[in-house]
Amino acid sequence: MAEIKDNTQVWLDGEAKSITFIVTKDCQLACKYCYLVGKNSKERMSFEVAKAAVDYILGNPELFPDQSVVWDFIGGEPFMEINLIDRLCDYIKTEMYRLNHRWFNSYRFSFSTNGINYDSERVQRFIEKNHTHLSIGITIDGTRRKHDLNRIYKGSGLGSYDDVVRNIPLWLKQFPNGGTKVTISSPDIPYIKESVLHLFSLGIHEVNINVVFEDVWKEGDDELFEDQLMQLADAIIDGELYKENVCSFFREDLGKPLDISLENNNWCGAGKMLSIDAEGNFYPCTRFAAYSLRSKKPIIIGNIHDGINQNLLRPFLTLDRLTQSPTKCLSCEVASGCAWCQGENYDAAVTPTIYQRSTAICLMHKARVRANNYYWNKLYCKIELDGARPAKPSCIACSL
Amino acid sequence: MFEYLVILLDEASASFCHYEAPSLQERKPISADMLKQGIRFAMRQNLAIQFVYPHYEISDELDELVHSVDHFKIMPADIDATKADVVVVDGFNFDAAIRLQKPTTLRVKKDEFFARYHELVPLLEAVPNVNVVFTDVQHFTAADLQTYSTVISLLAEEVAKMYVGDLCPRINLLTDRLSLNEMNNCGAGATSLTMAPNGNLYACPGFYYDDPENCVGNINQRELEIPNGYLYTLASAPICRHCDAWHCKRCVWLNRKTTLEVNTPSHEQCVMAHLERNASGKMLMQIREHGSFMPECEIEEIDYLDPFDKRHLW
Ligand code: SF4
Ligand code: SF4
Repeated sequence: MAEIKDNTQVWLDGEAKSITFIVTKDCQLACKYCYLVGKNSKERMSFEVAKAAVDYILGNPELFPDQSVVWDFIGGEPFMEINLIDRLCDYIKTEMYRLNHRWFNSYRFSFSTNGINYDSERVQRFIEKNHTHLSIGITIDGTRRKHDLNRIYKGSGLGSYDDVVRNIPLWLKQFPNGGTKVTISSPDIPYIKESVLHLFSLGIHEVNINVVFEDVWKEGDDELFEDQLMQLADAIIDGELYKENVCSFFREDLGKPLDISLENNNWCGAGKMLSIDAEGNFYPCTRFAAYSLRSKKPIIIGNIHDGINQNLLRPFLTLDRLTQSPTKCLSCEVASGCAWCQGENYDAAVTPTIYQRSTAICLMHKARVRANNYYWNKLYCKIELDGARPAKPSCIACSL
Repeated sequence: MFEYLVILLDEASASFCHYEAPSLQERKPISADMLKQGIRFAMRQNLAIQFVYPHYEISDELDELVHSVDHFKIMPADIDATKADVVVVDGFNFDAAIRLQKPTTLRVKKDEFFARYHELVPLLEAVPNVNVVFTDVQHFTAADLQTYSTVISLLAEEVAKMYVGDLCPRINLLTDRLSLNEMNNCGAGATSLTMAPNGNLYACPGFYYDDPENCVGNINQRELEIPNGYLYTLASAPICRHCDAWHCKRCVWLNRKTTLEVNTPSHEQCVMAHLERNASGKMLMQIREHGSFMPECEIEEIDYLDPFDKRHLW
């Protein structure tokens, strides 16, 4: 359907190995919803540690059989370590070339940044050097009011909106398909509609938005949420914004029952990814590092000296929907698209296991499904009325 | 559903399985009062009791309580084990077990087993059942697994000869698989619980010895439910539920130690069980060369030693 903009495909989504360097645990901001409970300015990755990780990964291609790779850099704020990143990316490129590694022809460097020092000379020089292999997302929450509610500077407590928005035109010029990630927690619900519309108006055509998986929801939040999404649906459809913009809250495949045996995959990619911290420890995903966990011990699956302990990966690689989900999820009529985060499941579980699915978002998902139904029904109806699409058959038997 | 309660009669009762019990420094027997409460708990919950003895004779007071209820005794061979239902032997010192002619659990480390496996024949001839448990599964290297492959095949040949000679030896590593048609594993956390002298409940004694804080309940509770109890069942074990090494211990304590999850076995545990499975199959064929034997039993040839490697087919 040419009229409705689709999500831009994530580069080799699901096929590339994702390798994440936690280059620093420091950040200029102290966002109120930040899940990183152990942020600090001391743990910065050294080049020697990063290099040892690269040597291990590139030196053991049989352990990483994927055809492509995404080298991901996160923090804290990754661009606070631009010198390290620049040197490391040069090293990765040289080594992939020297080893004639299959990834040399299929790699990407990926960043999710708060955007504050995006226009700095060092970051810009790095972008220029690696442009064809870069994915950069800038995180902005929406309107000034909404953004500054959460994303405030450490110390001063001042909002960061102006410093981020200043860099959006430059970023979009360099990455015209750039999308942003928005995370919704309980206090953010009233601002959803205005925030998404504001991001569209800034020229960001792809807004990837989701509710946090943590158990933060209050009674009535689901109704407020549904109401906001309905208003957003009206605005997108009435204003024909769907032609150029995508908001990930609305997806056609959302809210269908799932077959217990045929649709038994795990949602989350933990274990298929690899994260490395400043000490050179390996994690199945960043969410299993100590600084991300509220109440559980970190799950360290190896380190740069001893490599990966394959036994510790087995639970991640055999996790399925059936085993970790409670009965209510297996018989749920609107199960498709109801996501989970393995790290949050682990953090919230009553025993130290990754096999207990947290369902804190249950009511929020159901609210989203209702609004999503409304969105697609309204959108199809509008397109039919506009004559851009044949009418839906009203009688199943005779297709009339 | 829980069917058994294992009661440790001392804080350092003998290990009867993969885990290590602390060595006995001083006697720390369960109190008579706690034992009484444990027995009442088991009776209320309809659980069959298995008492695990320490490496010393228990007091008359405890002995009297033990005999106040139907039970099953697991005793180390270094005490008077004439009344044992199962005798536990550490290493290849099983003269006492041979004398007693009781079902015997042999706890052994790989190197000793590799060097002395052929000495098992007299034990197999003397006792009704030998249950071998390796106490260092987590330390098996790829080379050790290779050696185990050879050794278990050689042992299977010995056992086959015994069958051909009209004996009927039973050894878990080789003969259990022949008589099973579904999983029959250790039921720790699923069908059995362990009560320690502190009155707390554990999935198996190994969990208690690792960390007494890590209990799953207490004998004062009325409902017999444990947190995330489903994870101890076969249905919640993604690898094991696709496996036909039905005799495997599927040790949840080892699982937790090696993979951090009670429902996920290590590579080593799976490969060992499959080497045993395959050796059982070859043994079956060797016996059948001499006449009909267990015609209903079939052990298919398979092309893997670790079901994890076949996960793309699930
Ligand atoms: S979990 Fe079962 S097999 Fe493992 S040590 Fe405990 S009793 Fe033995
Ligand atoms: S061999 Fe492995 S998969 Fe099979 S039952 Fe034993 S532990 Fe489970």
